[in-house]
Amino acid sequence: MNTSYRPTLRLLYWLVAVAAFSSIGAVGVISASAVNAHAQDHSVITELLKEKQATQALAQLKTRLAQNPDDPHLRFLQGVAQALDGQNKTAIATFVRLTKDYPELPEPYNNLAVLYAAENQLDKARQTLEQAIRTNPSYSTAHENLGDIYAKMAGQAYSKALQVDDTNSTQLQPKLALIHDLFSVTGAGVLGASKTGLEADVVAVIAANGASGDKKQANSINQLLEPPALAPAAVVDAGAASAAATASAASTSPNSATPASSTAPANGTTMKDTAKEAVLAWARAWAAQNMDAYLGAYAPSFRPPSGASRSAWEKERRARIVGKRNITVELSNIEITINDSDVATARFRQDYKGDGFVSSNSKTLKLERVGERWLITREVAGG
Amino acid sequence: MVKARFANLVPLVLALGLGLGLSVFSVNAAEPTEPRNEPEQRLLEVLTLTSQGQSAAALEKAQELVRDYPNFQLAQLTLGDLLLARTRPLYTLGNTVVDSDESADALNDLRIESQRRVAAQKAVLPLGAIPQQFLRLSDTMRYAIAVDTSRSRLYLFENSPQGVRLVADYYASVGKLGIEKQIEGDQRTPLGVYFVTSKLQGTSLPPLYGSGALTLNYPNPLDERRGKTGHGIWLHGTPPEQFSRAPQATDGCVALADPDLTFLLETVETRRTPVVIAKELQWVQPSTQDSLRQAFDIVLMRWQEAKSQGDIDGLLSFYAADFRSSKKIDLSTWNTRLRQEITRLNGRELELKERSYLHWSDEDEVMVVTFGEVPRGDVSGPMRRQYWRHNGQSWQIFFESTV
Repeated sequence: MNTSYRPTLRLLYWLVAVAAFSSIGAVGVISASAVNAHAQDHSVITELLKEKQATQALAQLKTRLAQNPDDPHLRFLQGVAQALDGQNKTAIATFVRLTKDYPELPEPYNNLAVLYAAENQLDKARQTLEQAIRTNPSYSTAHENLGDIYAKMAGQAYSKALQVDDTNSTQLQPKLALIHDLFSVTGAGVLGASKTGLEADVVAVIAANGASGDKKQANSINQLLEPPALAPAAVVDAGAASAAATASAASTSPNSATPASSTAPANGTTMKDTAKEAVLAWARAWAAQNMDAYLGAYAPSFRPPSGASRSAWEKERRARIVGKRNITVELSNIEITINDSDVATARFRQDYKGDGFVSSNSKTLKLERVGERWLITREVAGG
Repeated sequence: MVKARFANLVPLVLALGLGLGLSVFSVNAAEPTEPRNEPEQRLLEVLTLTSQGQSAAALEKAQELVRDYPNFQLAQLTLGDLLLARTRPLYTLGNTVVDSDESADALNDLRIESQRRVAAQKAVLPLGAIPQQFLRLSDTMRYAIAVDTSRSRLYLFENSPQGVRLVADYYASVGKLGIEKQIEGDQRTPLGVYFVTSKLQGTSLPPLYGSGALTLNYPNPLDERRGKTGHGIWLHGTPPEQFSRAPQATDGCVALADPDLTFLLETVETRRTPVVIAKELQWVQPSTQDSLRQAFDIVLMRWQEAKSQGDIDGLLSFYAADFRSSKKIDLSTWNTRLRQEITRLNGRELELKERSYLHWSDEDEVMVVTFGEVPRGDVSGPMRRQYWRHNGQSWQIFFESTV
């Protein structure tokens, strides 16, 4: 990693005091007039900071904090002064305490990120800035929308790069409608469109949201919209699909619809059933971006395509799966053939959606029984 | 504003091997004076900005580049990466999902193209160094071309009284199945010493050839001696839907981006322009080849003396037993020819003007020699091309004809 290039991040020098205070519930009640009084005083200090007079600012702050030790504005400015004075660790501690006491203020998160970046902890800086954005639900949504726009634009550029026809513009369902429509969850969308009419075995596998993992929602709207971060993808039987779609309107998560027949039944379990369940579990792991489960579905004897080594193949699969915000995998027309006491073949149609790319192809998996489990030994498109 | 995007682009930068602290790419032996290679230069500028963490500027330049060259697929890929990096870390160059073997191949080709373009720009060619095949270029050979297939690069040289200097170099594609053409239809690019035989304008050709073509004389006499077949090996442009092609893309021709091919069409002369196609070019300072050049000067001088003096036996000793001329003329017929020429010469000395030696070594060591054979007192004479082979002890001619 090239460490000589660090991003230049910008410290914030003041809190947007009035708005910040109006959303604080944690630390007592502070009158508006008191806020304004404080705001006026602090301008002296912010001037000092702008002129990089850290030592003088710190002195002033020490005096004032002695009288008002809990004043978030003063504490914030103290953090800034410490940062300008080169006392990175102290400044970090100051801002960390502020974020704990006032988790809804964006400015401390921003400055924390600046300090983390200065320490070359770039991923921590990134996460902290994401927290900054999430303090305001509107900014959070706008930021997500911006991300989706970039992803869509990237998709178009990639299509041109690979000379692939990109007229399938319904792939990436724009989240721009998210705020108005509380119930337009990715899962519900797929459920609503699921093929209830198909006579063959149709199983919709719904993805859990996002691989970055740190979408711990801070506000209530997002909690309604997205399933709980760790909920695995659920298997929904075709018959229950439409019922689940309407039921999800009131529930927190469409994934909580009871799977009718997905778990292995107690009696009469045939080899076909267990093999099929293994295939479904593999698809679920893929959609949930659960690399342990996904890679664990492949036998040690699995032969990666194009002669790649197992480790190279795993690395590539990881790269292709973990980075996605959203993966959906739908399997249909699943046919299981038992070739031998230990060998089975699964053929199905695989409809894949990953961040604005769709593909649909037939696939064949060769499975081998290893102990109690069916593991994949070969994976071939078509066949 | 969220700005911590640099980390996302690390794989892009690492994959390109741009190294530490490079803000300016190494300069080739000669700076082109015209803005050739402009799209490539702009792409590399995007990559430099990216490596410096200036992702916003890089993104802007990338958008301008694809606006101007929407069919420059590698630029589109770079743009895609820069856009995606705004939202999440990238794991690889061309961080996209492919859902077909075709797309996977295309993506892989773009990655290789990227590596080769960057590597060519980074390569430090010592000032004054030239491919070893150019042992001697005549004054009338104003331009010479050399292709390094392993680096997907075509080099254009200018030959002047001051010496041979590199004028420009371009990304170039070769045959789908690689190099070392043997037979018709094998989709390989031949290796060897060739000459530009004609120029064709794109308007008279199918769109595949882009802005036009320079035809080459494959199979040359060495190829024919080795039983190689095939035809239509050209330098040509690209179809309209692509700015440049995959490193291995053609049926055996060497393909360039249209602007690059156009420059060649406007610059080089037919029949006088050698085109060396090698697996990997060896660059040498001309002075290091002085002794080899002088040694061959002497060989050729002795041949000229034998012919001038009418020493037919001495002259014949320069010709290999398996000698052929064009139209399958063998040594005994050639013998008769030589005698006739000697008679016509009538003792006048021959001057060999505009000599050139192109030195080719593979399983054989070959010298492709061209000169004007002017009898003393004449204004001009026939242009001869001879293919000499070193048989371990001496040089002998296995092919000779008039150009």
